[in-house]
Order: sequence, then structure tokens, then C-alpha cells
Amino acid sequence: MLREAVAKHRWWILLAIAGLAALAFVPFVLMPFHVRVGQLILLSTSLGLAWTLLGGFAGYWSFGHTAFIGLGAFAAGLFETQVLGLAFMRAEPLAGLGLGLLVGMGVCAVAAAIVAWPILRLRGIYFAVAMLGVAQVLAELTNSIDAFKGSMGLVFPRIPAFGLRQEAVFYYLLLIATAAILLIAFVVKNARIGHGLAAMREDEDTARMLGVPTERYKITMFVLSATLTGALGVIYAHSLGYITTGSVYRTDFSLNMIVYNLLGGMGTLLGPMIGAVIMVLLTQVVLGGFLNLHMFLTGAMLVALVLAAPKGIVGTWQAWRRRRASAAS
Amino acid sequence: MAGLAPPPRECRVVKPPILALNNVTKRFRGLVAADRVSLEVQPGSITSLIGPNGAGKSTIFNLVTGYLLPTEGEILFHGQPITGHATVRIARRGIARAFQIAKPFPEISVRDNVRVGALFGRDGPRDVADVTEQALDMAGLSNFADRPAGDLTVGFLRRLEIARAVAARPVLLLADEPCAGLNPSETEEVCDILRRVRDRGTTVFLVEHDMAAVMRISDHVIVLDAGAKIAEGTPAEISADPKVIAAYLGTPEDA
Repeated sequence: MLREAVAKHRWWILLAIAGLAALAFVPFVLMPFHVRVGQLILLSTSLGLAWTLLGGFAGYWSFGHTAFIGLGAFAAGLFETQVLGLAFMRAEPLAGLGLGLLVGMGVCAVAAAIVAWPILRLRGIYFAVAMLGVAQVLAELTNSIDAFKGSMGLVFPRIPAFGLRQEAVFYYLLLIATAAILLIAFVVKNARIGHGLAAMREDEDTARMLGVPTERYKITMFVLSATLTGALGVIYAHSLGYITTGSVYRTDFSLNMIVYNLLGGMGTLLGPMIGAVIMVLLTQVVLGGFLNLHMFLTGAMLVALVLAAPKGIVGTWQAWRRRRASAAS
Repeated sequence: MAGLAPPPRECRVVKPPILALNNVTKRFRGLVAADRVSLEVQPGSITSLIGPNGAGKSTIFNLVTGYLLPTEGEILFHGQPITGHATVRIARRGIARAFQIAKPFPEISVRDNVRVGALFGRDGPRDVADVTEQALDMAGLSNFADRPAGDLTVGFLRRLEIARAVAARPVLLLADEPCAGLNPSETEEVCDILRRVRDRGTTVFLVEHDMAAVMRISDHVIVLDAGAKIAEGTPAEISADPKVIAAYLGTPEDA
């Protein structure tokens, strides 16, 4: 089935590979500011994709996915500074980063697995609100328990640059993460589980009646999505160099992950990527000159887009193509 | 006449029933929806369950698929009791159900709808592409395979419902009023599809109100009235049975 999907989407796959390869040259040609915008675009794209593994594929919209950015960041930060120690991090920075990533992802996976069982019994808006609560609770705990250093802040060890500028290092890390998450999402979407999830998103009871193991699939996707979001949280925290609770447990992260998908097209791979690119370019570059107005303009534009194209850019494009195809036949 | 195996459609050894209900009773508080119903469905047949509104046909289907638990009695599938088993477990053993009110996955394509049946069916994911295309072809849906299921008309949705159920390679297909609300040509198409399902080796157990359709395609007909079985036999026997006529039209004294 995967082979069939690869054959069917071969042009898209080639385009994705070419695009990622082209993006690898960006740090050599662009100014540092633009490389930072590129970083932000890659972070947003990969966050949108990680969110869509659960929200887009299974139809369980999480309104608190920043919980895993924060959890991953603090787990890795505490591990690297308290367990490994600065001496180790200075001697073996890459191994330290790798271990930090593993710990961050592991903690997110375990946390998601624990939360999944009660929380995934909720459907629709109840699940969304419950996730909002999870993010809030984790942020509060990080802030008020001194050992977590949420209010004091955590300083991350520097990652060496191999002769590259610091922003280029994180650009590449995020590029690799984006490629990996895109690959995972493609495999999941086209595997047996992906078809089961699509059915579940449309009608969970009917899917179960047809034999789709809905409970198992939901938990799998929740854990996968949380783990990948956690990995991005670890990279993001390193790129900041210093984090407090407020810099990683950010409600706007949670909301943006939804917005990218809504804008681009829910349940697709292209959708969150297009949505993220458009949103970052608009808010950072185009509207950067109107700082006092840009949130207002962004909001107004989103309302207009959701009203005009409720299925997002990709969904609207697909519907248009279908109409044209059926008119032709 | 009651309880006898159906006369062979062609020359064939009478096999043990694929589905058997033994004295199954279902009470909803005071209401007796099924009253000591015993019936058998022979493998390779199209067996129809008919009766006036409220006769208990849907209750029987809900009991067989595990949606309801019988108050008394036993349900056997291949001679094994399945009474009280979970719906999913019964589905996995090879009993599929096509609903009267079609429940498509509207946003995904017709092909992907059927593929879900094939992927999660009785044998798990085996020859998924072939099974999917065969089921689409059998239901006459191949030309619409790439359309979203939400675009289909009621008649085609009914076919999709059957195709998705058949893609799961069930041993027994329960078809719940597949012809309800369809025009005569659509009804004829659904009948053809059900015949094809049977000819491919899946036993069909049908609840249907369209008497013309029932009489045309059934090998065996069972009649329920007020929760109890009042008659069974070939279509010809049933249409001549005074008890059946009375149940549907009322007796002269009622008039």
C-alpha cells in the first residue's frame, strides 16, 4: 500500500526532496535575519505537521500542544544541566544534545501515554479544552516548583557550530526535524493506520463497527504527536539558549499549530506547511512594519480566510479540481 | 412447515446452518420485541426476514450483531454460541452489517471508504487493492471510486454500504432494508448486487419491506409478526400462506 502511495505521489515526493535540498543552501546565501525567519518557518511547519498527526489525521484537535514543547524543553534542559552537567556538555556537546533530545521525547511520550487514557475518551471540544488544561497545569507546575527552574530560568549549553554561524546550526537541526516529521506523516497517512484514522475522523462509531481499533490508534497518534512536538521543543529551547516557563509554554504556539492547519487544509500534509509559511511570512515580514496593527490585521485576515475557504487552501484547491474533473466527465 | 430446512436451490447437500437462533426472546420492560424466535439461515442462501412494522425484524438484527443482549435464548454462528459477544468480536468473526441509513465517511473517496472495509475486515489486510476493486466493481461503483462519498445519491450510498461491508469478506452479510426509499430500477440494481454477493459465497440475511424484491431474490423467507415467527418457506409458499396475508392485510373480522 505504501509502494502504491509512493507511486501515486511520486512528483510530490520529488518536489519535497528537491525543496528540502534547496533549503539546505539557504544559510549560505541569505542574511542572518532571513536565516532566522527561515528557522521560524521550519519550526512552524514542523509543529503544524506534528500537530496534524493527531488533530488532522484523527480529528482530535488539541488546543494545548504547547504542553509538549514546554515539557520536552524543560526535561531536556534539566537533564543536560543537572544530570549530565556542564562539564560533560562542554566535552561532548553533540552527544549531550542527542541524549537531551531522547530524554525530552521520552518524557513527552510517557506523559502523553499517561494522559491519553482518560483524556482521549473525550471527543470534540471537550478534548480540546482538556488539552488546554493539561498545558496550563504543566506550565503552573514548572513555574511553582523550584526544582524545575521555570521561574528562575534554565540556561542551555551552547552547541558548537562547525564553523557555521549559530543560527545556521539550528536552521539545519530544524530542517532535519521537518524532513523527518514529514516522512513520518507521509508513512502514517498512507499506511493501514492512516486509512483507519481517516475513517475514525469522519465517524468514529462506524469505524469501530468496521473493525478499526479506534482506541489503540488514538493513543498511538497522541503519543507520536506529543513525542515529535517534544523534540521540536528541545531544539527550540536550545536555539533560545535561555528559557523560562513563559518562553516555551506559549498559548500562541498552541493556537498557531491549529491556525496553520486551518489555513492550509486540515488532514493534509501540504496544508500545515503552506499555512505555516504564509503565516510566518505575513506576520514577520509583510506586517513587520506595522507592529501596532499587525495582530489586528492577522486576525482580520484569518476570519476572512476561514469564512471564504473553510477547508483551507489545499481543501479548496482539491474541491475545485474535483469539480473540474466531474464537469469534464 | 416451520423449522424445516429450505428446499435446495439447486441440487445440494443441506449443510448445517450458518446462523441459528434458538428460542430467542428479547423484552424491553413490558414489550416483547422477540418472542421465542427460532430460525436458521442456510449457508449460501439469501434468507429474508419480513413482517409488518414493529414485528421485531430490526431487533433480531441487533441481537445477532451484539447491539442488544437477548433476555433468553441462544444465538449460534457456525454452531458456536455468540450470544452476548461484543460487536467488534462478532464483526471479526465474519458477520457484517449494511445499514438502512447509510453511514459513509463523506469526506473521503468512495474507494477509500471501501478500502477501510478491506483493511480491517475478517482476514486483516490481505490483497487489499484487489479486494477493494472487486467490491467496487461488484457494487457498480467503479466509475465513482474517486469521488468523495458525500457526493453520492441515496441509491449509490446504499450500494457503497454493501460494498464496504462485502470488502470485509464476511461470511454472513446482514442487509437492513437495502431497498427502502429506492425507485424500481435502483431496487433492481441492489437485488442484482445481493445476488452477486451470494454467488461469491457470502450468505445474505435480509430485512426488507419491498415484497416484490424479497419474492424475487430470496431462497427462503421467514415471517415475523408481533415478535413471533408465524411462517417460513419459499417465496411461493409464503405468498400463498393465509397467516401471512392476515398479518399484512388484517383478517376479515378486523375490517
